Parts: sequence; C-alpha cells; structure tokens
Amino acid sequence: MSEASYIGTSVPRREGAHKLSGQAQYVSDLRRHDWLHARLVLSPYAHAKIERVDLTPALRLPGVVAAFSAQDLTLARLGRQLNGGSDRVLDVLLAHSEVSFAGEPVAVVLAETAAAAEDGAEAVEVSYRRLAAATDPRQAMAKDAVRVRSEEELHGAEDEEAAHGAAVGGEVEGQSAPNVTRQIAFDRGDIDAGFRLADQVVEQSYRIAGVHQAYLEPQAAAAEAHPDGSVTIWASTQGAFYSRSYAAECLGLSEEKVKVVPMTVGGAFGGKGGLLEPLAAALATVVRRPVMLVLDRLQDFLVSNPGPAAEITVRLGATKDGQLTAIFADMMFDSGAAPGSPVGIAGMLLGGTYQAPNLAVRGVEVVTHKVPVGAYRAPGAPQAYFALESAMDELSRKLGVDPLTLRLKNASVEGDPQVNGRPWPRIGLVECLEQAARDPLWVKRQKGDDEGIGVAAGGWPGGTEPAAAVCRVNGDGTLTVQVGSVDITGTHTTFALIAAQAFGIDPSRVRVITGDTDAAPYAGFAGGSKITTTVGSAVLAAAAEARRQILELAASEMEAPADDLEVSDGQVRVKGVPEGGRSVAELAALTTGFGASKAPVTGQGRTAITKSAPGFAVHIAKVRLDRRHGWLKIVDYLAVQDVGKALNPAAVAGQMRGGTAQGIGRALFEQMVYQGGQLQDASLADYDLPLASDLPPIRVAMVEVPSPIGPFGAKGVGEPPAIPGAATVANAIRDAGGPRLTSVPIRPQQLIGD
Amino acid sequence: MSEMPGRVAVRFVVNGRPVEREVEGRQSLADCLRDGLSLTGTHLGCEQGVCGACNVLVDGQVVRSCLMLAAQAEGCQVTTVEGIGEGDRRLNPLQQAFLDNHGLQCGFCTPGMLIAATALLKENPHPSREEVTAAISGVVCRCTGYTDIVDSILAAADAMAR
Repeated sequence: MSEASYIGTSVPRREGAHKLSGQAQYVSDLRRHDWLHARLVLSPYAHAKIERVDLTPALRLPGVVAAFSAQDLTLARLGRQLNGGSDRVLDVLLAHSEVSFAGEPVAVVLAETAAAAEDGAEAVEVSYRRLAAATDPRQAMAKDAVRVRSEEELHGAEDEEAAHGAAVGGEVEGQSAPNVTRQIAFDRGDIDAGFRLADQVVEQSYRIAGVHQAYLEPQAAAAEAHPDGSVTIWASTQGAFYSRSYAAECLGLSEEKVKVVPMTVGGAFGGKGGLLEPLAAALATVVRRPVMLVLDRLQDFLVSNPGPAAEITVRLGATKDGQLTAIFADMMFDSGAAPGSPVGIAGMLLGGTYQAPNLAVRGVEVVTHKVPVGAYRAPGAPQAYFALESAMDELSRKLGVDPLTLRLKNASVEGDPQVNGRPWPRIGLVECLEQAARDPLWVKRQKGDDEGIGVAAGGWPGGTEPAAAVCRVNGDGTLTVQVGSVDITGTHTTFALIAAQAFGIDPSRVRVITGDTDAAPYAGFAGGSKITTTVGSAVLAAAAEARRQILELAASEMEAPADDLEVSDGQVRVKGVPEGGRSVAELAALTTGFGASKAPVTGQGRTAITKSAPGFAVHIAKVRLDRRHGWLKIVDYLAVQDVGKALNPAAVAGQMRGGTAQGIGRALFEQMVYQGGQLQDASLADYDLPLASDLPPIRVAMVEVPSPIGPFGAKGVGEPPAIPGAATVANAIRDAGGPRLTSVPIRPQQLIGD
Repeated sequence: MSEMPGRVAVRFVVNGRPVEREVEGRQSLADCLRDGLSLTGTHLGCEQGVCGACNVLVDGQVVRSCLMLAAQAEGCQVTTVEGIGEGDRRLNPLQQAFLDNHGLQCGFCTPGMLIAATALLKENPHPSREEVTAAISGVVCRCTGYTDIVDSILAAADAMAR
C-alpha cells in the first residue's frame, strides 16, 4: 500500500450540503398523499391492570381511520401462523393486560392527518386498576416488594451490552433480592488484606442521575406492507439490520421479507434502533395503508429508552507513596421495567482502569416500574468513572500526591489484567495522562481564589461486530463504495478516505453510499464506537480487492506482471516509472457497455473483528465558583483522547467536543426526575440541555497510539469523550474550595457555602 | 373537539414565492410549511418553542414556526432554510462556512442555527464570539458542543466582509 496521503487531513462532511440546504431526508420528511398518521395512547400509571380499552370514541372522530389495542394486533390478525399457540412476540408493541411503566403504549390511533390522530388518541378511553408500584430501586429490592417482571418474562431478555461494548463475564447465579435481574462479581487477591496494607483509605457513595439521549429528532418510523407479504420500513435507526431482524421477529416474517431503509438520523447516541419499527410495520400490514409513526417530544421522553441511574460505592486503599493496594466497588443500576443495564461494562471499567493487587467489584441490576433503560453514549462508563475518578481525586488529596501522578502510578498498561483476568491490549491511558500533564492549563495551574482545576479520566472498550463492504469501479473510473452502516458521525466521509487510500485514487472520485437491507452488505449497529474500526476495515479490504482486480486487468493490457504495477492518483503505472501507464478510467471503460471485454471490477471486503480497540480520554476543567449564589462557570476545558489515528481529524474533534458537551450536561444539567414513577421533566423546557451560553470553547488534544485493529491504526472515538465530564467538573469544584460532590447533576444549592 | 376546527384562508410569501392556502385554524406555521408546502428543511424537535430547530424568518425576525399559527403569517415574508441560498449558488457563504468549519453533525438543528445566524449577521455583520454565542443560545444542538458552530459563524462573518 502506498504511503498514507489522504488519511489524516481534515475534510468536510460529504452529506453536509444536503443538511445545510434543508434537503436531507429524515423519516418525518417523507411526503406521500396516502400516509396514515399513527398516534400512541400511553399509560398514565406506573403499574396497573388494563381492564378495558374503548376505542369507539376515537373511531367516531373525523379523519380517524382505525384504532388498535394489543388484543387487536395479534399475529393472527397479521395473517401469520401462531407460533406454537403463542403470539408473545407482539407483546412488545402494545401492553396486553398490564402496564409496567408510566408511558407504556396501550393503544394506537390511525388517522388521515397527524392532528386527527392526536384527537383520536385523546378520545380513547382506557380503564385501569392501579397496582402497587416499585419505582425506586431500593424499594424494589425490599423483601415484600411487588415483582416488576415475572420469571417467564425475564427469560430470554436481550443483551444490550453485547451490542454496544463487549460481554465481560462476571455473572453470578443464584439467590438475590427481589427484582434483581443480574448480579456480577469480579475478584482478585484478598480485598481485606489489601485494605490492611493501605496507609490511606477513601470511601464514598456516589449517585448518578438517569439521563436521556435527547437527540433533536424524536423517534420515528414509517412502513408500507406489500401484496406479497413483505414490508418496507423507513427508520431513524443506528442499525438497519438490527431494525430488520427485530421487526421480522415481532411480525413472524423471514428477514428477506423485511426491507429497512435507513433515513438520515437526527441524533441517536445509542437510543435509536427497533423501538417503533415493528409497530409501524404491524399497523401497515393490518390497515393496508402506509403508516407514519412519529413521536412528539413528550412521548419520546416517556416511551423511549434512556440511560440508567446508578448508585456506586467506591473504596480505594493506597500506600503513602500512592500505590493502590485495593479497589472495592459496589454498584446498583436501575434498569427500569426490563433488564438490559450496562452493569457489567461499568464493573469492567471501574475495576480495570487502575491496577491494584486486590480487587472486589460487585454489581446488581434492579428492575423498577419506570421506562426500560437502553444505551446512551458509553453505557455504564460515565456512571463508573464519576465514582472512580471522584474517589481518585479524594485519594490524591489525602495522600498529598498530584492527581495526575497518582493516576500515572496506577494506570493500566498493555498486558495488565482486566477485571476478568484477560490482559489489556495496547491502550493509551498513560499517553493521555502525560499529554494532559503537558498542557499549559495543568503546568501553570493559574487560578484565582474562587477558581479550581480538576482532572479525570475515562475509557471505553470499543465494540466489535462483523461487517462487509463492496467497492465497485464505475465505467468512468470512479469508485462507489456500498456499506450497510448508517452515517451519523461522518463515517461515510472517512470511508471515502480509506477507500481512496487503499485503492490509489483521489477521494473526490469515491462515493460512499448506504444501501437498504435488501441491497447492502451486513454492518452492525452504529454504536459502541465501532463503525470506523469494523465497517472501515471492510471498506479497506473491499478497496484493496478492487485495486487487485484493476491491477490484474492492467497487467493483461500493459503486458506487465501485476506485481510490477501500482495504482496512484487514479493512474496505473509500472513501479518506479513515473511516466506513462494507463488511467483507471481507461481501464474501467473496458468493463462496462456493449462489446466490453473485461469483467467489472467489484471488490468485496469482509471482516469479523473480535478484538476491541479500547479508547481512553483525560479531561481538565477550570471552573470559577460563586459560593454565595451557587453559581458556577467553566472557564477552560481541555479534552485529551487517544484516537489511535485520526483519519479525518475534524470529524474526530467534532466527536470529542460533542461528547464533552454531553459529559458536562451530566455534570451540571441533565436528570430524569421521577416522582412516584411519573417523569417530571418530560419536555425540553424542563429537561435541561446545555446551551451554547453554558459551555466554554472546548479545546481538544489528540493522542495517537495506533490500534492493530482499526484501519490505519484508527480507534473508535465516539464514546470516550462523553465519559470523564462529571468527575472532571466535580473535581474542579473541590479544587476551588467547594464541597466534595457525590451526586450528579450538581445543583446550585450544593455549591452555596463560605 | 367534536367539531371540525375552522378553516382559514391565508396568503403569504415563502422564499420569494407567493402562496395561498386554506389551513385549519389551529395549524402551526411549521406544519403548514412542512405538510402544506413540502418545505421539510424546517424541523420539529419539541413543538414547544424551546429547541429552535423550526426557526424561520418572518419579516426578517427569527420566529419559532411551531409556536406561530399559519393563519398569523397573513401578508408576511417567510424565509426558510431552503430560501437562504443565493440564486444559482449552491451554498451561500454562511452555509459554506458551516461546511468548511464542521459546524454540523446530525443536521437536525442546522436549519435553526442557520436562520439564527442569518438574522444575527444581518443586524451585526462583525459579531464577537460572545455575541455569536448569545445569538445561538436559543437553538439546542446535541451533537457538536457548539464550538464548531460558533467558529463557523465567525468565519462566515469574515468571509462576507471580504
């Protein structure tokens, strides 16, 4: 392969002009005259029996065409065989006989306009018998607590973690408190002996609020059923193939009968893929009309799958020179009304970032009568690192050791054991800490009396998944690269650089497209910081194969062995002979059209990456405190991150800044506030997102410790920047003479003092 | 709710083009633009006037089109993101600056940002970083952390001054 020349230079996003001119198409932008608009009817109660659903008042309204409760939306109604007499798969669409969170959909109304559907949904009359609810995880674990899910319901729960990060093990079987759906434990050495060896011990419990992804585009799906029994689904999804398999399962269809067309995604952050697609497809099948199902913001908050709240106790022991002797952690994740919290990943990160000979990490997942949680950018990691990095900061204070020095002394490096005993691959934690220590903000540590500077680290394992890509050379010598992944973060732009580099052609001659699930080769969920490493590797392989084919073609035309030829800047030449040769366009012309004599150049790339490329980040914040009024301003913020290799540095910086903003949101603003199972802040007016005026300019510094896995050494970059923010800000507040904050988001009243 | 909401005839100018519509009295300007006129570049993020994704210019002022009724636009000049370009040029200097400075990611807030920035630069062609930050603090962006958006608008001001 020729020397990297297209890689590592910032280029604009390829789809940018579409988005800037209003032409990008999101699901709700699809225009056709025959849509039926669907509107959900949601449960107002956290736990209740559904006694009766009366749809007739809705059906009497002008414009309302149909309405359904769960009883009306069975597989039989969809014209499918009942699978062993059970149509349980459809339970996920609408609640059957019982609701287990406020906001659970119980009915749906279809109308000619969205406004008429809304009127219809208001008119549906549902009789409930309220039941005792366990909405607080502690209450849910009490001996006499009401059970949120039956044993039968819990069987076969899907594993969110596997999709987003890596299954880490540590499962504990056997007896547990009520509503505990998962227990993990990781042990090493002798934890008690470890604390006996310590000169200093810190212990604290931390609370991290549940937060919402709060993507700007609410969840949306549209569907049309076809006479041959197949369906087309237009979706705002991070994973078209995930949406497909889930819809196929729910509808009792084979996958080849479900076509998912992934539309432009207006933000997702882990929260989009499969929530609405099966219901939209089921409705379209029953009513024989295309159906558009778009949530409004209130419904999105109530129905969709936010990031979980957690309580984490951390105890650290260290010798007086700052060597950790023991790490203990006890975690509780509130999973909402279904299992699927990231407690395993949290344990892996909490116990694996620093090395101690003695380790005990415990975790439980508890189900409660609240909306089931899902993935939100680095699931489990912001929770784990708020606790760990706050504790490390306290430890450095107690020991009188510089906080970066303490971290450097104990940071895991390649070969060190993770919590499950497996060795860490090459990671860049130390390099990030060193880079942070070199920044003038840290070196000078200039601050006024009311100012403080805090530091915290964070890491993410990086997801894995098989992927394939196709690279075709068109008759004019341009390249079309087709993938099955959805471009949310600028990955298509990066793929163009990868393909251009691997093939030997200018990136402006490469187009990257996402196919629908009928046409595109498989790709995984655009989450877990894995698309560049997994699909990017497939693109690299596909372009390399296309290059091999064009060289083979050139060899026969130029009467030279293929091994003696190279492709550079769209020209095939004899190596070492800069003049002459044939252009890719000339050669490609031989492969298309009447009378053409050569087989079309079609490179296929396939990968099944099973090793992850963990990415670490270290953040520094400088804050100014007004303790009289509880007012806080972040005056400087630096995000350092090991990105492996920045293929398109501008896109990487964008991920770093955006992730940092979300971390600051967790630190200072965001929280899903529940009272008796009712979400109190289900609007963007109440749920506090960071605005431009809330944030400082975010400085970024990239560290490049190449990954052996990703193309050209790249690592996933989406997750790590969203992790350290909460502890970074809390540690800066402590440094400014403020209190040690043990819960986020931080409230102004917590800052008031002398 | 039992009776059909009343309908209202409304005439206004959108992106330089006169339009005449009969709308439901309760229809928002945003729904009228998106559903009636297929101008789907105006996005709906909250329908409560908070997020700013539905920003349009009405007689030169930034307006949340989700909070304004279509009927209220009678006689007004409305500009959406589709109408901010300059003639046959594909992107105007502001849009180009967003592209060059990576001032967008998912694109959902982008039209609202562009509208807010258009109004700012018309009123104040040489804004400071603080003024730009204040001008876009009524538009929520979840992807970028705003830094690149502020840089884009400052770069556009520079480019337009040349």
